[in-house]
Amino acid sequence: MILDLSSKKTLVVEDQAIMRETIKHILGSFGIRHIVEVESGVSAITAMRIEKFDIVLCDYNLLKEKNGQQVLEEARYLKLLPLNSIFIMVTGEQNQDMVLTALDNKPDDYLIKPFNWQQLLNRIQRCYSRKTYLSSIEHEIDSGNLYQAIDNCEKLLQTNDKKMRMPLLKMYAELTIKVGDFKTAETIYQNILQEREIPWARLGLGITAFFLGYYDQAIDTFHGLINQYPMMLEVYDWLVKAHEAQGNDEHAISSLNSAVTLSPMSILRQKKLAFLADKTENLPVAKKAYTATIKLGKYSIHRSPADYSGLANVYLKSNASNEALKLVYELNQQFHNNPEAQLRAALLEVNIHQAKGNKGLAQQAYSKTFKLNEKFGKQVSKSLRLDMAKTFYLNGNAEVCEQIIRDLIQTNIDDKPFIKDLVTLCNTLIDENYANNLIQQAQKELVDINNKGVILFQEGDIKGALAVFEQAIKKMPDNHTIILNMIKISIHDIKSSKPNAEKVTHVQSYINKAIEVGIPHEQISGLQTELNTISLQKQPITRQNV
Amino acid sequence: MSNTPTPPIDFPAILASSVHDIKNSLTTLRALLSQLENSYQEGVKPKEFRQLEFETNRMNNCLMHLLTLYKIDLSRFSLAIDEHSVADIVEDVVAQQSTLLDLGNVELLTEYDDLFCYCDSTLISHALCTLVNNAQRYCRNKVLLSVTEEDGYIVFSIEDDGLGYPAEFISSDGETLHQLDLANGNTGLGLFFTKTIAQLHTQGDKQGFITTDNNSQLGGARFKLHLP
Repeated sequence: MILDLSSKKTLVVEDQAIMRETIKHILGSFGIRHIVEVESGVSAITAMRIEKFDIVLCDYNLLKEKNGQQVLEEARYLKLLPLNSIFIMVTGEQNQDMVLTALDNKPDDYLIKPFNWQQLLNRIQRCYSRKTYLSSIEHEIDSGNLYQAIDNCEKLLQTNDKKMRMPLLKMYAELTIKVGDFKTAETIYQNILQEREIPWARLGLGITAFFLGYYDQAIDTFHGLINQYPMMLEVYDWLVKAHEAQGNDEHAISSLNSAVTLSPMSILRQKKLAFLADKTENLPVAKKAYTATIKLGKYSIHRSPADYSGLANVYLKSNASNEALKLVYELNQQFHNNPEAQLRAALLEVNIHQAKGNKGLAQQAYSKTFKLNEKFGKQVSKSLRLDMAKTFYLNGNAEVCEQIIRDLIQTNIDDKPFIKDLVTLCNTLIDENYANNLIQQAQKELVDINNKGVILFQEGDIKGALAVFEQAIKKMPDNHTIILNMIKISIHDIKSSKPNAEKVTHVQSYINKAIEVGIPHEQISGLQTELNTISLQKQPITRQNV
Repeated sequence: MSNTPTPPIDFPAILASSVHDIKNSLTTLRALLSQLENSYQEGVKPKEFRQLEFETNRMNNCLMHLLTLYKIDLSRFSLAIDEHSVADIVEDVVAQQSTLLDLGNVELLTEYDDLFCYCDSTLISHALCTLVNNAQRYCRNKVLLSVTEEDGYIVFSIEDDGLGYPAEFISSDGETLHQLDLANGNTGLGLFFTKTIAQLHTQGDKQGFITTDNNSQLGGARFKLHLP
């Protein structure tokens, strides 16, 4: 045995006692001393909260509560799995419906039952050697330094490890997509496909076509893949996005429907289907998909109050107000101390009682909504805030409505689809110029702040300029112009002052933020190179791994 | 009183769900078996363990074939094609067969170069496990699993030192094997499965295929799986 496993803390999640015994015996024979065994997904999460495990072996088919996939999603979401840990999903069979349910949240490996000690050992060893090989990339990804991760990919590719070449190229292409460098991604995929037809590379090529705006070409690629690999469900998700981008919601719904029929267990697909069907007033499909989402969400981190209020609104539209009221009750039951749920419930009550003609109860619910909005208004999701603005306006409170709309525009001005929804709502609800006026005001305010900072900068008051942008970022954290100017001035500041590792780290965090909010690659990559040159010249910076 | 009409029976679906149940039971059975085995010291294990291991392996392979073929028939199946190192695939087969090998006096030899193969590795190693498991039964004491590259195909060969295939099992393209199996109503499922899986692997106008002959360098049967 090359690998010393004796000190590895291991968690076994398996609901059958006899299987737990067998697995424990095998792990014992590897010299592993610290083994924790649990029989349910809920206890698995608890165990992972108490201590960090190096190896998790988790059965997919846990009969009670959460299944293995839900355990994995929750553990990743709550950051309960250390970066170098391995998570192996144990499955009863090579079940494609399940294996392909959530490609973005894959375990490190799968192991099909029954397996013997040699098979388990092979799996663990292979996982470890892959993790070790890729650790320099994974660390940077984990810290959000995607450009550094890409550099490390390029370095590793030069080592010419044949076995790791494909996984590396795959990571490399995915990272270039993440930073928005679609042309490079396209070239990587094309080169692979010239060598050999590989489904993930073909899909990648379709994805780059999508991001480059060649929707027809992307849709053709996705259709070709579905013909050949009908169970490759990830392709349907991209097909849906491409149809949506073309504004063809009907096609998007029909593609989602196909995916959901093949794999009804994916909560995120059901949720997406519910929202799309709701948006296009396809009430029967919306009702079915919302119901499925709520059911699947019971033990999932993807459960949200919006699923309940969505279904309730569908009931309300179908004149089933009693059914809708039941959901308000459930919403309050299922989510405790959750402002989003409380506000959604209150808002629903207003609408339901108004529909039923219960003026008194509607008024009571309205007062509750008003109070909750004052208390939590800024903490809840933007879609809910938009709903609230509508209700306030319809109930004669144009002032609160305007406050909300103004704030939503200011914080989301770069979120084009959302702004479009907002404008549509205001146009039908209030008048044609209402939203556009507010948008112009917000833009002017933005230009003013920006100019103020730039003038200070030009006058040589770099500290003053930085202070202006710091302030602006607090107010509009996702604003592209402000983030970019902040980075530019900070880089200038570092160049013209004493070397300072802390400042470099600070700028890097703004670059990472810029990637996150989707500022195009062409605008960021030059700044990243500039920052790298400074940090190379001045002094090595210590990497901060979380 | 009129008879209630018998509701239509969706036999394939019933079969598939029964296969799931049987497979779960089999997994438990194998876990029990390995616990029982652990209670014996090395060297004094009753010889029946080897056959138990062999038979449960065979049952498991058989159920897996049924499920996969069921899904292919329903068009609810696609290969998960990627580049895989031949070494990893061979390692998986050897690992899967190690329990059985440890219990008997059969030696599994392997021979392969640093090759790469574009395939669904889970399915391919399952098919190879079935074939090696089968070869362990018919060999005297040696089975050879080798991988070579021939005419642009990656070729997995399984050879043994047994008596060889009976004449009706020999085929240079795998095509005649299926009818024969169904007519005899016996064991050909493994071969049929492997042939079907091989054919799903395509590259340009090339398609995977199987061949069977008695030209083993060990003197017995030889099975070859060709993947483009």
